[in-house]
Amino acid sequence: MTTDPRAGPVLETRGITKTFGSVVANSDVSIRLERGEIVALLGENGAGKSTLMNVLFGLYRPSSGEILVRGEPVRFDSPRDAIKLGLGMVHQHFMLVPTLTVTQNIILGDEPSVLGHIRYRRARARVAELSARYGLEVDPDEKVENLPVGLQQRVEILKALYRDAAVLILDEPTAVLTPREVDELFATLRRLAEGGTSIIIITHKLEEVRSLSHRVYVLRKGKLSGERATLGTTASELARLMVGRDVVLSVDRPEPAPAPEPIFRMEAVSALGPRGLEALRGASLAVGPGEILGIAGVEGNGQRELCETITGLAKATAGTVRLGSDDVTGWSVARRMDAGIGYVPPDRRASGLVVQFSVEENLALGRSDRAPYSRARVLDRAATRASATGLMERYDIRASGPDARASTLSGGNQQKVILAREFSRNPKFLLVSQPTRGLDVGAIEYVYRRILELKESGVAVLLVSMELDEIFALSDRIAVLHGGRVVFESRADATNPAEVGEYMIRGAAAGPAARSEA
Amino acid sequence: MRPDRARAIIMTSAAAMAAIGSTLYLASYFAGGLLALAALAIFGFLRRSELGAEGFAAASRSMLKAAAVPAIGIASALAIGAAVMLATGYDPVASYAALFYGGLVRNWHISVLNATPLIFTGLAISFGFKGGLFNIGAEGQYFVGVMAATWLGLKLNLPAPLGVPLVFVVGMLAGAAANLIPAALKVKTGAHEVVTTMMMAYAIRTLSPMFIRANGGDPASSAHPYATAQIGERLWLPLFKDVLPASNYRLHVGVLVAVAAAFAVRFVLDRTDLGFKIRAVGHNPIAARTQGISTARITFATLLISGALASMAGVTQVLGLDHRMFQNLNAGYGWNGISIALLARNDPIAIVFAALLWGVLDAGGQYMARTASTPNAIIEIVKSVILFLLLAEVVYSSSGAAIKRFLAGRKAARAASEGGRS
Repeated sequence: MTTDPRAGPVLETRGITKTFGSVVANSDVSIRLERGEIVALLGENGAGKSTLMNVLFGLYRPSSGEILVRGEPVRFDSPRDAIKLGLGMVHQHFMLVPTLTVTQNIILGDEPSVLGHIRYRRARARVAELSARYGLEVDPDEKVENLPVGLQQRVEILKALYRDAAVLILDEPTAVLTPREVDELFATLRRLAEGGTSIIIITHKLEEVRSLSHRVYVLRKGKLSGERATLGTTASELARLMVGRDVVLSVDRPEPAPAPEPIFRMEAVSALGPRGLEALRGASLAVGPGEILGIAGVEGNGQRELCETITGLAKATAGTVRLGSDDVTGWSVARRMDAGIGYVPPDRRASGLVVQFSVEENLALGRSDRAPYSRARVLDRAATRASATGLMERYDIRASGPDARASTLSGGNQQKVILAREFSRNPKFLLVSQPTRGLDVGAIEYVYRRILELKESGVAVLLVSMELDEIFALSDRIAVLHGGRVVFESRADATNPAEVGEYMIRGAAAGPAARSEA
Repeated sequence: MRPDRARAIIMTSAAAMAAIGSTLYLASYFAGGLLALAALAIFGFLRRSELGAEGFAAASRSMLKAAAVPAIGIASALAIGAAVMLATGYDPVASYAALFYGGLVRNWHISVLNATPLIFTGLAISFGFKGGLFNIGAEGQYFVGVMAATWLGLKLNLPAPLGVPLVFVVGMLAGAAANLIPAALKVKTGAHEVVTTMMMAYAIRTLSPMFIRANGGDPASSAHPYATAQIGERLWLPLFKDVLPASNYRLHVGVLVAVAAAFAVRFVLDRTDLGFKIRAVGHNPIAARTQGISTARITFATLLISGALASMAGVTQVLGLDHRMFQNLNAGYGWNGISIALLARNDPIAIVFAALLWGVLDAGGQYMARTASTPNAIIEIVKSVILFLLLAEVVYSSSGAAIKRFLAGRKAARAASEGGRS
C-alpha cells in the first residue's frame, strides 16, 4: 500500500443516510478510502451496498450526510459529476454496446471530437496505451459481443481509466467470472492499487474480501456493522458481522450409499443452441437416488441446453433421456413434470416466477388444472389459499401474505417460493440450476439445507452451477461440461477445485496436465 | 348455518334487484336506477358487516380513489373541450347542456345502442391483452360476425329460441376462424399478430361489397344501394319495448347479452384454469412454458376466443338493429374497441362503463350538433383527451413505481438539503 499520509483520504463519506419513503436504505454510513487502497464493502443482499454506491456515483442524492473528494465536500447531481471528479464505476451488469468495438465502447459518451468528427485514431491509440500500461490486454478493434465475459469486464475498467478515474468502484465483479478470470482480475486490481488507484469492491463473498482487500467495511440492514483490517479478522467474524449470528457455510455430507440403479439417465444427448449450432454434444449422465451430481462449467458451455432437454423445453437432436424405466425423450414439459421431474430454473424472475402473480398463484403455476388448485377446471380459491399458507409456513417464505405479489418479495423469498413449489410436488428427480445466484449468505445456507434434505429423502438431484464452491459444497459426484461435452467426471472427494477449474477452462485438453499438477 | 342462509338469500335478492334495476335503467326507465342503487346499498351493508367499520371505510376509500382517476380525467377533458369551444366561438354551457341532455336523457337509447358493439369489441381486445396478444384486427372479426349473421338470417327459417342462439354460435365460430391463420402463423413462425390480424381485417373488409352484392344488394336500385336484403323477422332480437312500452322502438336486448358476456369474460379470466393460464402466458410466457403450460395452445385459444367475442358485436348489430348488412365501413367498432379496452384497463366490467361513456358522448354529440349547432368534432377532441389523460396515468402507474420513488427521493433530498442550510 502506498498511502501518502499527507494526502488524506481520496474519498470519504460522512453520515450518509438515504431513505426511500419510509424505507431506510442507508443510515449514518461513514467510510473513507485512502490513495492506493483496496477496500471491500461486504454485506448481504439488501444490506444497502448498492444504494451506497449509487449515492457515491451520483445516481441518488443522499437524504443527509456528505461526500468528500480529496477533502472537499462535493455534490453529485448525476454520474457525470462523479466521473468528472475521478470516480469510475464497473457495474455488475456491464453497460456495453455489444455491436460496437472496444474503442468505440470506451469513448462512448466522451468522444474526442473536432466539430462533430470523432478523432477515432487518437482514441484508439490512447486505449492501446492504457491497456499496455495497466496490463489490461484487449484488442481495441474487436467487437464487444465477440469477447468473453472476463474481457468485457476489462473493457469496463478501461472505460473508467480512460476517464482518468482515481477511484474505481466494482459492483460484484466476480459474479460472472471463471476462477481463472477472477485470479486475473485480482492481479489487475492489485497492480492498479500499487499504481495509486483506489478501489472499492462490493461483494458478498467472504473469500474475495480476504484475498484482495486491505480493509473491509461490513454493512448490515443499511448500517455499518463493522470495519476491520483484513489481516486482523477471520471469515467467521466477517460472516457474523454480515448476518448478525453464527453461520455454517460448509455442510456435513454423510457418506454416499453404494450407487443403486440410477433414477435419471441421459445417454449421448445432443441439442442445438440459440444460433442453431450444436451446443450439447453427446452428453451422458446418470444420477441415482439420494445422490447429488454437480455439473460444473463456465457459463455458455451447454448448461442451458442441458437443462432444456432434460425438462422438455427444447428437443434433443440425438440421444435419450430416461426417468426410471421410462424413455421420456419425446415427452412434453407437462408430462415430464407429472412423471416426477422437478426443475428450479437458473433465473428466478425470467423463468421461475410470474412476478406479477401473487405468491399463491405462483405456487399453483403448472398445476392449476387439478386439486387443490381447481375443481372441474374452476379455480378453488379457498383451497389454493390454504395450501399456499401451509407452504409459506413450511418453507419460511416471508411475505405480507399469500396474496402478496411475487415481485415485492426479496430474492431469497422468491427462490423459496420456487423451492416450495417444486419440492412439494414430490419429484423423483430434481434439476437445480444456479439455485443461489444473487442470494445472501443466510438464504444460500437455507437453499443448501433444503436441497440436502430432499436428497436425504431419496430424490436424485442434478445441480448445475457456475460457482465451484457450490458444486463442492453439495455434490457427491462432479462432472464438468465444456463445449457441450462432459469432459470430466469424478467422485467429489476424489478431486479438488483446482483440477475441476482446469477442466472448466481447457476442457478435455486439461486431462494430463491437471492430473500432474494436482 | 342460519345466518349464512339468510345472508345468501339477501345476496341473491339484492343481485336480482341490481339486475332488474339496471335493465330498467338501460331501457330508459330511469327510476330503475333507484332499485339498482338500493341493491348497491344492501351489498355495502353486507360488506360492512363482513369487514367491520374500519375495514369497510378503507375499502371504500380505495374504491373512491380508483374512481377518482377516470372522473378527474373526464372532467379535465370536458374542461379542455370547453376551452376549445370558447376559443372557437361556441357556447360551452349550452353545448354541454345539449350534450348531456341528449346523451343521457333524450337519446339515451342511442347511447346504449352505440355502446353495445363496443362492449363486445372492447372485451375481445382486452381478452387478447390479458394473454399478451394485441388482436388489432377486431374490426375484421366484427365484419365476419356481420356477414355470418346476415347470411344465416337470409337462409335460415327457424323460430327465435332456436335460431338466435344458432346464429350466435355460428357467428362466434366464424369470428374465431377469422383468427385461425394469424394464430397458426404466430405459433408456427412467430409472425406478429398485430400485422397478421390487421391484414386479415383489411382482407375481410374488402370482401364485404362482394358479399352485399351476392346477397341482395344492388347499387343500381334506390331501395338498397349498399345493403343486403333484410333478414327474416323471426331472428330479430327482442326489443325492450315488447315488455316495457315506454322504451324506444329500436332498443333491443343485445346490450344485456353484452353485459352477460362481460361477466362471462371476467369469470373465465379470474376463476378458471384456462384464464389462469392465459394470464400466466400474458405476463411471462417463459415461466409459463417452464411450468409445463403449452404457450402455443394458450395463444391459439386466446386469439380464437378474442375473435369470437369481436364477431359477437357484428351478430348483435345485425340481429338487433340493422337486420341486414350495410356497407358501413366507417363505424369502426373494432378500432374503437381498442380505446375501450385501454380506457377500462382490461377490466371486463369497466369495459361496459367505458363503452357506455363512448356511447353517451357519440349520441350526445350528435344531439348537440343538431340543437346547439356546435360541431361534433369537439366531442372527438374530448374523447381523445380522455384517452390521452387516462393512458398517461396508466403509463405512470404501471412503469411509474420507479419514477415515483425517484421523485419522492428527490423531494426528501431537497427537503433535507434545505433543512441543513437554514
